[in-house]
Amino acid sequence: MEVEVSRRKFLQGTVAMTVVGGVAGTGLLSAGHGEGEAPGSPRLPKSVTTKTGTGKAEEIPFLCGMCVNKCAGFARVEDGIITKLNPNPYFPKSRNMLCPRGNAGIQTTYDPDRLKYPMIRIGKRGEGKFKRVSWEEAYDAILNGTDKFKGLAQILDEEKDNRSTIAYCNGEGLSKEGFEDLVGKKLGSPNYVDEVSICLETAGGGFFATLGVYPEIDFEHADYMIILGANRAEAIITPDTMDMFKQTKGRGLKMVCIDPRFTNTAAKADKWLPVNPGTDLAYVLAMTWVVFNENLQNEAYMKKHGVGYEEYKQHILSHKYTPEWAEPICGIKAKDIYEMAREFMNAEHPIIYPGRRSIFSPNDYQLRRAMAIFQALSGNLDQKGGYIYGNPIMLPPEYVNAPIYDQAKPRFDTEGIAFPTLKSGSWIVFRNMVLEGKNPYPVRVMFMRKHNPMMSVPNTAKTRQFLEKMDLNVMIDILPSDTAMYADVILPEASYLERTSPVKAYGFLEPAIVQRKAAIEPLYETKVPEQIYKELAEKLAKPLFEISKKYDKDLQEQIKLRGEEKVFKEDGYDLADAWEMPVHEKNREIVEKVYGKKAWEILDERGVYYPHMEEYHKQLDPNDYQYYPKSKRFYSTQGDKLRVICKYDNLAKRGIDAMPTWHDEWKFSVPEGKFRLITGRHAQYTQSGTTNNAMLRDLIPTNYLWINQRVADKMGIAFGDMVEVKSEVGTVRLKAYPTEKIAPNQTFMLHGFGSESKGLELAYGNGANDAVIIKDDIEPVFGAAVMHSTNVEIRRV
Amino acid sequence: MARYGMALDYKNCINCKACEVACKEENGVLLGADKHRIWVGSNNPEGVWPNLDIASASFLPSQCQHCEQAPCEEVCPTHATYYDENGVVRVDSDKCILCSYCMNACPYDARYVDDRTVTVDKCTFCSDTRLARGETTTACQNTCPTKVRTFGDLDDPESEISILLKTRDHFSLKAHLGTKPKLFYLT
Repeated sequence: MEVEVSRRKFLQGTVAMTVVGGVAGTGLLSAGHGEGEAPGSPRLPKSVTTKTGTGKAEEIPFLCGMCVNKCAGFARVEDGIITKLNPNPYFPKSRNMLCPRGNAGIQTTYDPDRLKYPMIRIGKRGEGKFKRVSWEEAYDAILNGTDKFKGLAQILDEEKDNRSTIAYCNGEGLSKEGFEDLVGKKLGSPNYVDEVSICLETAGGGFFATLGVYPEIDFEHADYMIILGANRAEAIITPDTMDMFKQTKGRGLKMVCIDPRFTNTAAKADKWLPVNPGTDLAYVLAMTWVVFNENLQNEAYMKKHGVGYEEYKQHILSHKYTPEWAEPICGIKAKDIYEMAREFMNAEHPIIYPGRRSIFSPNDYQLRRAMAIFQALSGNLDQKGGYIYGNPIMLPPEYVNAPIYDQAKPRFDTEGIAFPTLKSGSWIVFRNMVLEGKNPYPVRVMFMRKHNPMMSVPNTAKTRQFLEKMDLNVMIDILPSDTAMYADVILPEASYLERTSPVKAYGFLEPAIVQRKAAIEPLYETKVPEQIYKELAEKLAKPLFEISKKYDKDLQEQIKLRGEEKVFKEDGYDLADAWEMPVHEKNREIVEKVYGKKAWEILDERGVYYPHMEEYHKQLDPNDYQYYPKSKRFYSTQGDKLRVICKYDNLAKRGIDAMPTWHDEWKFSVPEGKFRLITGRHAQYTQSGTTNNAMLRDLIPTNYLWINQRVADKMGIAFGDMVEVKSEVGTVRLKAYPTEKIAPNQTFMLHGFGSESKGLELAYGNGANDAVIIKDDIEPVFGAAVMHSTNVEIRRV
Repeated sequence: MARYGMALDYKNCINCKACEVACKEENGVLLGADKHRIWVGSNNPEGVWPNLDIASASFLPSQCQHCEQAPCEEVCPTHATYYDENGVVRVDSDKCILCSYCMNACPYDARYVDDRTVTVDKCTFCSDTRLARGETTTACQNTCPTKVRTFGDLDDPESEISILLKTRDHFSLKAHLGTKPKLFYLT
């Protein structure tokens, strides 16, 4: 008896994104699977999970695309259907494991809500009314527009070939560079924003500026760790998560967890100390004071490697950053700070865990600098059990023949930023300057791929206004996200299990090269990103060249000198020339050139290659593998060139403290009756991209609002009660979770929920979107988003 | 012929639930929080913020204990529940009449009803999927990020599990009931 109620059958009765036209019976959210399929339709599983068989199967090496880690696995393919994803034991970074999201990747590929064919908008922006079209019609709509929106040709003509009228965004992923090549290098837009300025920009920047590396950690030999606001049991990072928790709980690695919330990481720690949000810097400065005051540091090491070391010591001591000073600011008791500083410096291989996480406070850059210097004070850098610089494994850089557009203007999103980053800028500053009319030239086009700013960039109302302001929005993605609802043209991409991606190298302690191979052909009418780039480039090249010819004096000059055909070909105007070879072939060419034929064979078969792999790699027991023997790992690579930049004078030239310094404006305070909103991740979800995954929703049905149990009792709020959460920029509703795991004046919700897109059957209206209520504050160094500065009101509704 | 068991280095567990998903995908288990062969039990910490007792916040991965004296097998009126040749407690769904005696008898709450067959389902140690293909690990062991589980033959003195049980202290759940579980929690 078959009584499984497939959610796919439910779909017929739900409010869905409207698709007009196209082939009868194949709406965007067609019930599809298993029954009544037309011949030639894609191979789809008959039920949500498929019991693996004992017969013939292929095992295709892939790299996971569910989050940023790129863990390696093998996809089991039976009769054209992916039935199971298994870990790949050859990749040192992911250590033969797949997390719950990695295992649930099948549900993303076979998500019935997938974008299945190209579409163009026929309703209002955000309304979700689209028409199914062919790829050629979609490309044509991008170039020439429709009666609902203008095309790129008209817009560029009106802007006299100022390519900077085009902006673009892309979230993290292996095909991101190709999109940057297409819109940045080939179409000539400098206005790029990506996930960096809403993620870990200051962490990377602070560590690089101080130590020259955002390090890996050798947990195997570490014996003491302070983990500061990073939640490695829930926000899984490989190999950190796997390595650290095998050694905690009295098994070699003593761990102190500093976090406002009691997380799953706190549950694995020896000690949990809740810190006031945004005050970790005061805590680290006080630890540093204890070290200098008691002369616990590795003085010889710092004298050798430190830059501005003596000044930093004087700076810390003269500011009297004592534990007694820090206690009322950060909420951690002075005696605990003394104890930790001493334990840290007495440990053989202590670690203050560098990352990774979003930017929570405006002082995050200085926090990272202070942490990096604190680590250096122990001398535990570039050695066993310490911060690892390691060895990069190199692949040759890609050359793209980029045209130079004389009419293109430089990017402008620099307001309030000391060090504007040229490549990916600041999401918030860029968006807000356009909204406030501070852009020196019109920004009219947004090319978007695999990015959901409606749910990832703080202050959703402003992102909506920004998208509405554009004349043309193009989205390449796999699911109809909230942001896709604002697109004029949607191009459906193959999911990570349906595509071969550009080969990638990972360095550090045990370097390796990895390749994701397509496990199955792209489903429906989806295409691999590189094919989309190529076809779109082919479509746009000649017509846009005509516009450049009209306005670009340099180009006119060159044509006079060398002839049109030559200039078009040689100067990069032939936009599609960056994708002449299919990805798999190109990977082969690159790898064979650098590492030889045998290396390519190994990589293509196992998904992983590194020099001496066949000699080094072996299974030690049913759970553990050796990737490199210890004697061959890159523990120490820096030698005398290692520098610890304690005082960084360049910062001061732009109004940023040259040495980490506390300012009282960063003190934590919440008005009576309000709560500080903090946000974060969970092992079962990445971001908004995974909340429509049926398997993961099985594990966490929705996001809840954490509120202190005693406070909730007073307010009459019980578990599951609907509450309204209001900030100065927005209001959301979700269910309450009273708990003692959070302070009375703080509140928490998981990021990524509360989708507004009706195209997402499971994510639509489920929980709350934190970006709606988080204020769009930035930190001063890069203009990156600060996530934990918003106070909210909570009431039961 | 083997005597399969599993050792769990449960202190490694971070409650990520990779094992639960791997199990469902491998064995075609239905979606639904009440449909699972394996799970991670967790406790919230005791105490009042900021004084929470870390030791009380524990994660305990669990599943069918594949008891040598299995109460589920004893109560089954149709012999649907049986020990297979490797000592794995299995259910023959053709014989199951859903009397649910086994579900009540199991001290570990390890059984649930599969709505497709309307019979009782439970962990099989991947006997009819992975082991049938000659694999030597279960889906839950293979995928685990922190490598909690070690599956193997208790009768083979050279097996990893036998070595672990010889060299590490361990306990069984509800040992006082005399069910002789073949899941061992390493301390």
